Amino acid sequence: MVEIRWHSRAGQGAVTGAKGLGDVVSTTGKQVQAFALYGSAKRGAAMRAYNRIDDEQIINHEKFMRPDYVLVIDPALAYTDDITANDKSTTKYIITSHKAKDELISEIPTLQDKSDRVFVVDCIDISLKTIGRAIPNSPMLGAFVKISGMFELDYFLDRMKKVLSKFPQKIIDSNMDAITTAYNEVK
Amino acid sequence: MAEKYDLQEVEVWDGNYAAAHALRQAQVDVVAAYPITPSTPIVENYGLFVANGYVDGEFVMVESEHAAMSGCVGAAAAGGRVATATSSQGFALMAEVLYQASGMRLPIVLTVVNRALASPLNVRGDHSDMYLGRDSGWIQLDAFNAQEAYDMTLCAFKIGEDASVRLPVMVHQDGFITSHTAQNTNPLQDEEAYAFVGEYQTYQEMLDFSKPVTYGAQTEEDWHFEHKAKQHKALMDSRAIIDDVFEAFEKKTGREYKRVESYMMEDAEVAIVALGATVETCRLAAQQLRAEEGIKVGVVAPRCFRPFPFDKVREALSDVKTVCCMDRSSPGGAMGALFNEVSAALYSTKNRPLVTNYIYGLGGRDFSVEEAKRIMREQKAHADAGYITTAIQQFSGLRGPKLGFFETNRR
Amino acid sequence: MKGVCATEKRGTKEIGSEELVGWDAVTQGVVINSFEGNATNVASLKQEERNYSDFSSYTATVASWRVVKPVYNRDICIDCQNCWVWCPDTSIISRDKQMLGIDYDHCKGCSVCVEVCPTNPKSLLMFAEHEEIEKALESWPTKEK
Repeated sequence: MVEIRWHSRAGQGAVTGAKGLGDVVSTTGKQVQAFALYGSAKRGAAMRAYNRIDDEQIINHEKFMRPDYVLVIDPALAYTDDITANDKSTTKYIITSHKAKDELISEIPTLQDKSDRVFVVDCIDISLKTIGRAIPNSPMLGAFVKISGMFELDYFLDRMKKVLSKFPQKIIDSNMDAITTAYNEVK
Repeated sequence: MAEKYDLQEVEVWDGNYAAAHALRQAQVDVVAAYPITPSTPIVENYGLFVANGYVDGEFVMVESEHAAMSGCVGAAAAGGRVATATSSQGFALMAEVLYQASGMRLPIVLTVVNRALASPLNVRGDHSDMYLGRDSGWIQLDAFNAQEAYDMTLCAFKIGEDASVRLPVMVHQDGFITSHTAQNTNPLQDEEAYAFVGEYQTYQEMLDFSKPVTYGAQTEEDWHFEHKAKQHKALMDSRAIIDDVFEAFEKKTGREYKRVESYMMEDAEVAIVALGATVETCRLAAQQLRAEEGIKVGVVAPRCFRPFPFDKVREALSDVKTVCCMDRSSPGGAMGALFNEVSAALYSTKNRPLVTNYIYGLGGRDFSVEEAKRIMREQKAHADAGYITTAIQQFSGLRGPKLGFFETNRR
Repeated sequence: MKGVCATEKRGTKEIGSEELVGWDAVTQGVVINSFEGNATNVASLKQEERNYSDFSSYTATVASWRVVKPVYNRDICIDCQNCWVWCPDTSIISRDKQMLGIDYDHCKGCSVCVEVCPTNPKSLLMFAEHEEIEKALESWPTKEK
């Protein structure tokens, strides 16, 4: 079982990202779960989304999770949200930030003993440059593909195109661009 | 003719979307709705399917849930296949008309996404609304995940519309935990699903001008009782039809459903009885506890909450030592409903296991695998002692001093 | 005037005299048929041409509920249809806008028709139930100045 926790603000696409990841994973024959804790969420409120991935049917419906991956798609939440809650000694963090990894870690005490498991990518900047809006979910998927090694990039892009097939070609292309850029830039 | 919807063999759907597709595939003629969280996407997506030509039907926006169910009653009496969705406060506002629908024997399908009832206001899942419907004369089916929300909704039409049943059917799923959790779902293709549900068979429809009928007659003490008794008998007798429909569904899909679902019960000493997504969480806990600690625990779940499977519950639990009934609704000065009904069923068994009650998960409070295991261990302690070692009714996942009511007199 | 536009089924059953059948014999969903057999186009038929079922109030009678009854005087009536409009029990029988009389099987003697009658003297007046129609008509008042 692989468990993923997304830290996001309502409207940044964490739920869509989690479901998109689920869509792709399901095509590999694996079982997935994607859900979110919304709060009575308004746009901008902090929220969390979750994925579970397994070979067996997933019958665990608890919200409690000890994540294998923590994906932070809002730069400020790395500071204000408890992103290391219920983590494990192997939990990997992918954080969106315009800052360099060392600088970011130096500012967040809970990450300081985890520097080998922290990865940084500027999803906001990438989404602005590729998609034209601050929707950091697609770039985060690219970074996740790289760090997790769960898929080859080309395979993921191919499946993601099918998931997005109902959108105009321009949107599909820009999302592919965002995923690829983040895949290459995450450190 | 409605357009065919392009479906993959495996879709990643949440419970709401799964239910919406079932309504589409059944080609529901009329949905009268007043959307409410967390069930909104069901009727919203039905409306979208209508607008995009995927279903030949009418989406009627009304001014309240009372009007929504009233519109459904009218459309069903007129002779259409009818469905809607609601939750919580909306369900409460519908309550009056629910009794009208069942009394008039109209096979409406209501997809209920279970949510807590205010006050205090809360949008998340518990079973307050489901329990509110338990005397309304509807068949109530319970889905534990998104796949089942889809499957049960298809079955609901076939059960309710059966000539010997002709009763409305609710399909319950847990708010957010099921309704907003996307999981692998295997849908039927459109034509298969429609063939399973079948063409709608009208009965005494008001739009048959060759045979005008009156719906909603008044009966006083000289007639009312006989009509209610006949209705109750139809509901009780629907058990056999539910079994038949589940069997036909299994033949079509390979997915097996029973009015009472038993899991790891063959040699179980301890049983947990639950409803909704909790059933699956408890199954996982039972697997783990058997492997880790060797406690023989099983899980029993009424798939069909109404008609209450008195017969099957008794069968499923006849050989265990302890039974813990999990009620996800504030019982308002009584034991939980599941506890009361399971206890009543077990009272006429030889074995009469010890039965305890947990109130849990109100307003969407998380129910974890660890907590399920703790409760199972506690039941095992009752079994070993031969009596209930705690209060009979306890609260799970509650902050503050321990809360419990009533001690056993069977020491 | 009794029996005007009646068929042999009208007013044959006293309300409350029906057989009290058991739960197994009541109709499903309390749905009741108004007519026997095929009733296509029934709206274009006159009452006396319709095949009402035993569930219809047409076949029932409440005549015994009445202690006073309206009597209708054809000689004064101007066929204004006021009584037909106001009668709460559809017991004014009218054909082609011409008033024919009272349906005594369903009239409860409320006297609304008398109240709304605009003629002088009135074309409808209340009399004791046992009064004969002919005598009632003989005792009709004259025009008030």
